[in-house]
Amino acid sequence: MSELKAPNGDRRPIFIVGVGEVGPVAEDPRSIPEMVLEAVGMALADAAMGHGEIDAVVTASVDLFDGLTASNIAVTEVVGAVMKSETRIAADGLAAAIHAACELRSEAYQTVLVAAHGKASMSDYRSLTRWAMDPIHLQPLDVDFLICAGLQASAMAGADGGAQRRWAQLAARRRASAVPGALAAAISAEAVLASPVLAAPLHEGMCAPLGDGAAAVVLSVRPPAAGRRSVRLVGMGHDLEAHAMGDRDLTRWEGLGRALRRARADAGIASEEAIIDLAEPSCLYPHEEELFRQACAIGDETAISPGGGLFAGTAPVVAGLARLIAAVRGLRGNARYHQALAHGTWGPAGQGQAVALLEAAD
Amino acid sequence: MRHVAIIGTGQTDYASNRSDASQPELVREAAKAAIADAGLRPQQIDAVLISNMELFEGRALPELWLGEAAFAAGKPCLKVATGGTSGTSACISGFHQVASGLFDVVLVVGLEKHSEGQTQTGMALTDPFWDRAVAAGALGNFALSISQYMAERGVTERQAAMVAVKARRNAARNPHAHLKMPALTVDEVLASRPLAHPIRLLDMCPQSDGACAIVIAAEKPARRLCPRPAWVKASATRHEQPYIGDIDRRLVTMRTLRDAARGVYERAGIRDPLHDFDVAEIYEPVSYAELAWYEALGFCREGEAGRLIEDGVTAMDGELPVNPSGGVLSSNPVGASGVIRVAEAALQIHGRGGERQVEGVRTALVTGYGVYAWADVVVLGAQP
Repeated sequence: MSELKAPNGDRRPIFIVGVGEVGPVAEDPRSIPEMVLEAVGMALADAAMGHGEIDAVVTASVDLFDGLTASNIAVTEVVGAVMKSETRIAADGLAAAIHAACELRSEAYQTVLVAAHGKASMSDYRSLTRWAMDPIHLQPLDVDFLICAGLQASAMAGADGGAQRRWAQLAARRRASAVPGALAAAISAEAVLASPVLAAPLHEGMCAPLGDGAAAVVLSVRPPAAGRRSVRLVGMGHDLEAHAMGDRDLTRWEGLGRALRRARADAGIASEEAIIDLAEPSCLYPHEEELFRQACAIGDETAISPGGGLFAGTAPVVAGLARLIAAVRGLRGNARYHQALAHGTWGPAGQGQAVALLEAAD
Repeated sequence: MRHVAIIGTGQTDYASNRSDASQPELVREAAKAAIADAGLRPQQIDAVLISNMELFEGRALPELWLGEAAFAAGKPCLKVATGGTSGTSACISGFHQVASGLFDVVLVVGLEKHSEGQTQTGMALTDPFWDRAVAAGALGNFALSISQYMAERGVTERQAAMVAVKARRNAARNPHAHLKMPALTVDEVLASRPLAHPIRLLDMCPQSDGACAIVIAAEKPARRLCPRPAWVKASATRHEQPYIGDIDRRLVTMRTLRDAARGVYERAGIRDPLHDFDVAEIYEPVSYAELAWYEALGFCREGEAGRLIEDGVTAMDGELPVNPSGGVLSSNPVGASGVIRVAEAALQIHGRGGERQVEGVRTALVTGYGVYAWADVVVLGAQP
């Protein structure tokens, strides 16, 4: 029952053998199943597999965001879950991938498909997040996730007069490294500071734009076909913080610290200073990247979000699974990278946290 | 696979309106009871799973608010939501998490507080293009499927009413149950208000407020803490086509439940379910469904379900008591209903069933049902 336990030496390895991502775009005119169908098709093609080789499915979606009760009904067919086991985790997609890894380690299955979707264009996403706040003490105050992020940024900025400029520069730098055609266009730090304040001290230009997306990942205990660098999921951990802002130290992501400690213990990594070559954090705002670096003790030797991360644009629920995909692609495409960290978060001001530690097997 | 067992259960009382308790208070009540029942303290729980259908209360991500009530603050906590099967699927997720070795002790808490929402509105939020106008809510769907089932298998309204009577009479011995009706008669069920032919008011499950929790443990803590752990022998989940019109003769074929049961029976060494199981807690949202499940679960041959209920085979003193708790027909907080099935089956193996205890239970069957014929099946045993 210890919180941290030694890893089981004979446990099954887990390989990430297929990835697929659709979007994010500001508005995808297609339906949820059409988008998920494409993402799943890409992941299966990447894994060189068909639905027949998938034993079970884990999906991530949130009913209120989709306006559907049991919104995994919308994707049952396209994820190939008819007459199959499907579990829907209502949280960030990375948490769903971690649950899928548990299913594999439990020896229930050999290969599991994970899929997540989110369409911010279908609704006023910001307003919907109010319905995730304590309905007795917080929802009546019209507190939403963006306001919580602003409160957290305020708590961090405190008397730090340089915080806003630093954050503007960070957001501009991340957006500049996004691929052409990304949801967020390149923007200067000056323009970020000149953009409207959305939730003080956060300016619009600091906030990752939310749109529509879908992502899918195939996890398997069997290594991928030869000819490609294989990527293993070696450690996983997640955490749920206290809900109310007043019950937390807003200047830290303590939940992420716990999730990472669990992931390291799971991976059998004893050292706090273990080098991570590539980090793909789920940070919607620049102050969150500072929280992430602090919680994970990440220094300059680690490449963070080389493709711009969420600052390039993202979709609710999909974000963490998309970070996992970015980390896998980073390991596959860059021989200098050996260890990578993918991060997901959900809820107000990083209440829910998930970490996956990846390793390239050479 | 690591052996996994259920070592504690906790339930609130179920009622149509638990205005005396908030959602977190219901969660806390069940979680606290289950942890105490397992002989643990909250800090010894490694991770928490929450089962709830958020639109029934008009919420988003309710575990963010409810997590602390389930002692989850600072712990891994996720929500599983798959309609009616949410509870059984959350329990199966907990089995997998413990079997994976990531956690040794997992708490599962299911909650629904229907009185704080509009359940039928929530159920109407199906596919907006094809299903919403024609297949919204539970009643219409079941009415269609049941008519077909009656026509093909010769089941009668009276036989279904006998299921409704059995459930509410059993519930009278369950202190937590919502609808306790010890003197209910078949004629009273048949005289109750028609809802959608052939379903009458007393054929249908209620909407209840309440929460139910179980503690799942790995073999070592299970043996140390629990004199009679309820070991998980096998479990399976099967989902179905998402459009009601695409499911051929749903209650008649019930291919999800059949297929899940077939695999689980094989792994658990069940050859003759009627004899091999000592008790069953099955998810019957409507009286007729229980009869259809008898056939799909292999308790009898096709077309013989009516005889099974008439002969009292599934009564408390019958060969295979089905739903000593009173089942979903007597208590139905949707997100918790599947957890209740698992908890009640575990309780029977623990030998702590009180007035609803069946003598000498060694093997128990659990099913979950949700959405359009989604099915979960779990077999619990007194030995791993």
